Amino acid sequence: MEWNSELQAYTYPCPCGDLFQITKDELKLGEEIARCPSCSLYITVIYNLDDFLADSKTNNNNTPSQPIAVA
Amino acid sequence: MMEQQNDNEEKQEEEEEVQKIWSWGAGTEGQLGTGRLEDEHLPQLLLHHSSLLPCSDPISHLACGGAHVIALSSGGKVLTWGRGTSGQLGHGDMVNSLYPKVVSSLENNFITHVSAGWSHSGFVSDGGCVFTCGDGSFGQLGHGDYRTHCSPVRVSYFVNKHVEQIACGMRHSLVLLKGGSGDQIYAFGSGKRGQLGISKDKVKSISLPEVTYGLEDVKIVSIAANGDHSAALSVDGCLYTWGRGFSGTPDVQIPQSLPSSLRFTVVAVGWNHALALTGEGEVFMLGGNYHGVLGDLEKMSPAKQFPADSREAILQKVPGLNDIKTVQIAAGAEHSAVVTENGEIKAWGWGEHGQLGLGNTCDQTSPQAVSLSHTPNEATAFKVYCGSGFTFVIMTPCNPSQT
Repeated sequence: MEWNSELQAYTYPCPCGDLFQITKDELKLGEEIARCPSCSLYITVIYNLDDFLADSKTNNNNTPSQPIAVA
Repeated sequence: MMEQQNDNEEKQEEEEEVQKIWSWGAGTEGQLGTGRLEDEHLPQLLLHHSSLLPCSDPISHLACGGAHVIALSSGGKVLTWGRGTSGQLGHGDMVNSLYPKVVSSLENNFITHVSAGWSHSGFVSDGGCVFTCGDGSFGQLGHGDYRTHCSPVRVSYFVNKHVEQIACGMRHSLVLLKGGSGDQIYAFGSGKRGQLGISKDKVKSISLPEVTYGLEDVKIVSIAANGDHSAALSVDGCLYTWGRGFSGTPDVQIPQSLPSSLRFTVVAVGWNHALALTGEGEVFMLGGNYHGVLGDLEKMSPAKQFPADSREAILQKVPGLNDIKTVQIAAGAEHSAVVTENGEIKAWGWGEHGQLGLGNTCDQTSPQAVSLSHTPNEATAFKVYCGSGFTFVIMTPCNPSQT
């Protein structure tokens, strides 16, 4: 996923044209679903929780995503 | 003398007025050109193009991307609208545009081909130059860096080459050179899923064009890209695909020809499916088990259809189009649309944003006729185009004197 400073969230393209989004706070809480604000689709985000609990910026770029679109 | 000129002008205006443009589907970025930021579940007739569009010649081609649209006029002018926050509209800024606006920095070029990716755009001129703008963070603009550009910039790598087509995917681009055979397709941008096709080894991303692998002896006539997929058609109708695997099959790192005796004339790719049209007007599909893009998978035995060790995606004929020839195909992220030879528009796949134009948000597992409040007849020519979650149709009157 990519960091979007305007949205203050990690994003990934949604097939509807909008963006799946998940914030750092959500990640710290262990949330693993990135939702699209425009539709019912969401993806599961695979990441290392420790990277976010440490709150270290250098680790935050390593957020892989395995998009699984679910209606 | 003066009167005659006026008459001619009036006639010309009348003819131009007959071109009609409809749009429907996801609209929250202004991509429908309706002037509103709303989804539309039914085809919206946009105003007569000359009042809608700031250019006098008819639209000859559209390219629909993630949430933006590029229109090419018959006079080689380019108009864009929709999401512009990555500079993909090429207007020199990073804002959305609700209405079509001329890409003024391309006005000194006669543009012959355009392509819209997820958040970047490509333009090819009659002189064989290729320009790109928009998000460059994966190298998909081909300028040797990862910068974003809000006005079209010529790709200097091709300065001594004649480019014919560009195809923009989610985070990558393909370029087709004119004529000859061998070394015709170049790729740049993200290669994580094999979509560049430049090497058997995995490539994360490249920002300078590199030639695709294994097509040295093949004459390619067209290219297509969407999502993490890439496709090309050879002059003898062979379909090549590479990138993300279809229907859960492994990713393909280099162009792979589809083992089929069918001869294809057009290919269109979505995010999880591809459509291919044969010379006989039949439509076939690869992948498409998402959101009912191709629906009858449940009726088949999944184990039989997709064996775990299958390395090849399954090609299937699209059901429900048997009685009538298809003349044009288009693929959105997860929906599809076709034009039949009697001028009907049919759509199927994911429908949550109204992108099927059927007046609801239902998914459809087989092609459904879209009502355009226009009687289909042979004297008109329809073209259909799909963006990620939206659809456009252009109706241009057939003018015998022009063909």
